[in-house]
Amino acid sequence: MPIVELQNIRKVYDTKVAVEGLTLTIEPGTMFGLLGPNGSGKTSSIRMMIGMTVPDSGSVQLFGKPFARNLLHRVGYLPEERGLYKKMKVLDQLIFLGQLHGLDEATARKRSLDWCERMEITEAIEKKTEELSKGMQQKIQFIAALLHEPDLIIMDEPFSGLDPVNAELLMDTLVALRAEGKAILFSTHRMDQVEKLCDSIALISRGRLLLSGSMREIKSKYPRNRLQVVFSGDDTFLRHAGIVEFKNYSGIAEIQLHSEAEAQQILAEAIANGTHINRFEVMEPTLEEIFIENVRASFGDAEAGGRVDA
Amino acid sequence: MHNIWLIAKREYTERIRTKGFIIATVLIPTLMGGGIFAATMLASHSKTASHIAIVTTQPQPATDLKHELESGKDTTMTVDIVPSSPGISATLDRQMESKQLDGYLVIHQDSPSQQATYDFTPRSSADIATSSAVKEGLHDVVAREYLAQRGASASDIDTFMHPVEVNIVGKGGKKGDSRASFLVAYILFFLMYMVVLMYGMNVARSIIEEKTSRIFEVLLATIKPSELLAGKIIGVGAVGLTQVGVWMIAAAALAARAGAMSGVTISATQAIFFIVYFVLGYALYSSVAAALGAMTNSEQELQQLNMFLMMPLFFCMLMLGPLISNSNSTLSRIVSQIPFCAPLLMNFRISLSMPQPWEIALSIALILVTIFAVLWVSSRIYRVGILMYGKKPNLPEILRWLKYS
Repeated sequence: MPIVELQNIRKVYDTKVAVEGLTLTIEPGTMFGLLGPNGSGKTSSIRMMIGMTVPDSGSVQLFGKPFARNLLHRVGYLPEERGLYKKMKVLDQLIFLGQLHGLDEATARKRSLDWCERMEITEAIEKKTEELSKGMQQKIQFIAALLHEPDLIIMDEPFSGLDPVNAELLMDTLVALRAEGKAILFSTHRMDQVEKLCDSIALISRGRLLLSGSMREIKSKYPRNRLQVVFSGDDTFLRHAGIVEFKNYSGIAEIQLHSEAEAQQILAEAIANGTHINRFEVMEPTLEEIFIENVRASFGDAEAGGRVDA
Repeated sequence: MHNIWLIAKREYTERIRTKGFIIATVLIPTLMGGGIFAATMLASHSKTASHIAIVTTQPQPATDLKHELESGKDTTMTVDIVPSSPGISATLDRQMESKQLDGYLVIHQDSPSQQATYDFTPRSSADIATSSAVKEGLHDVVAREYLAQRGASASDIDTFMHPVEVNIVGKGGKKGDSRASFLVAYILFFLMYMVVLMYGMNVARSIIEEKTSRIFEVLLATIKPSELLAGKIIGVGAVGLTQVGVWMIAAAALAARAGAMSGVTISATQAIFFIVYFVLGYALYSSVAAALGAMTNSEQELQQLNMFLMMPLFFCMLMLGPLISNSNSTLSRIVSQIPFCAPLLMNFRISLSMPQPWEIALSIALILVTIFAVLWVSSRIYRVGILMYGKKPNLPEILRWLKYS
């Protein structure tokens, strides 16, 4: 039974089409990456998923049932725009948000204290939100989204603004939650995080789905035509006929090939030229490359480039 | 319902803990009490106590005047009688300069049968109290003298000169004071004006706060915008009621002590109607304020839309004049039925003189209907508006919001 099932949803604001014919499925126990450039309809899609807005057409199913508000007690949401009551004490705030998600006060209090300990912010419990650093506030919102032990966790840009130590703490927590069988949806611009964490992804641009599926499926659609060479000495092998284009960052060359087969020839030529090879790796395109390629294509030739990150 | 309760509870507990609330709750009754107390004190000590001199050649009217001014009803002045002599004005002028005298009166009369002229020189021409006391005293003395000359007996003169007093008697046969009942009506009017505006604006501010802090996104992931709006209005309103309640209790305590002295009392009926109309007026204005808050992104933008709240309240103030001159005229009856004015104006009429029961019932019914209509519109504006950041919407956009599902 899928946790989230969107069928052909569409949302139009005045003349702007926010989401057009989006279909996607999230299975339990998976980490799902929702990717897309800014303004592509990620937040609009998430808002329809949790009933903040209603799609103009199409259907939303949560936990195998048509959308109903009482199902929201099984959803935890960390919005992209972080927000907490500035003047309220952290513990009161967590208890309040826990109660809104259907917990009683005692349970909410106990879980808040446990989570604060787990997230290493016990010293913040008695403080007001406005006295805390941005990273701490983010952790508190992270806790608020998880207090009621939701089966579906939706996080919009969960790691932005966190230092590497805290980002790792959150990542480990999410991985642990996935192991417990929760479904996690998160959106981000950081492709390295997606590659590391996500089981499946969906890439949307201008409100339309460009590609979706498991990470393996998507990557296998692309040829292993990327080559990374760390070398010193002669660099004439870079002018080999099998190379489409290359970037040479003083001793680290990123090369795109016509086909995987040419990689061995290039290695042979480099050695024959006396180039000292430290590392030689044939790779799939990175998710970032797939992202940029698809998004560029979606904007068409006329608008290519400039609009991608607009 | 549970969510509305949670939102209202949070709104209430967070607000009554703020310093602003505590200060306003304590300060207003203190100032009010202090003001009334000071006014009472001043009123009882407002008898003129100046020191003047009378310059005259004839003893008669001067002695009577001295008696009248030193132990009259409203005066406790010190009066010296100085025989007329050349250069006396210069001496008295010097005494005034050194602040020993507040003024002097020169009576020119060569013989008792002759018509006298009176010249009063005050130290400060702004000292109206002394001048008018002298004038009234003279008038009294001269009239008595004239009557005595015509052979009227002392008791006849007293009867004749006795001022007429009119007692203002209320419906229950109690002695009232029309000045005091106006004062009460005014106090209640401005108190209502203040709390309705203040708590209406508090709703708008609280919405903007949640909007700028983006906490909305989290809240709306679990609860409906209508629940959030209802909880907010109830929570903020409860704070308002608490404050008004504290003020009413303080006023009752004051009335028990200082009120008896000053004649200012707020009856139980006035207090009950005040609370009823406050709740209604607050619900109406806060519904409008909620829509304003949802439309805007910052306090500054809200200030520009303030007039939508201020205008009807200002109109009520303009209507005070006609209401005071005749609180049962057709105009008064009509304006006090306008839902946006009724909380202030009907309550004002109640404080002055009780209108017909059907008028009160009709005004309450009209306000209730308007509240529902306004809530319907503003909850729609609210629902869309709170998720819109950035640009301030224009009117056609807001009208389109009403159609969104």
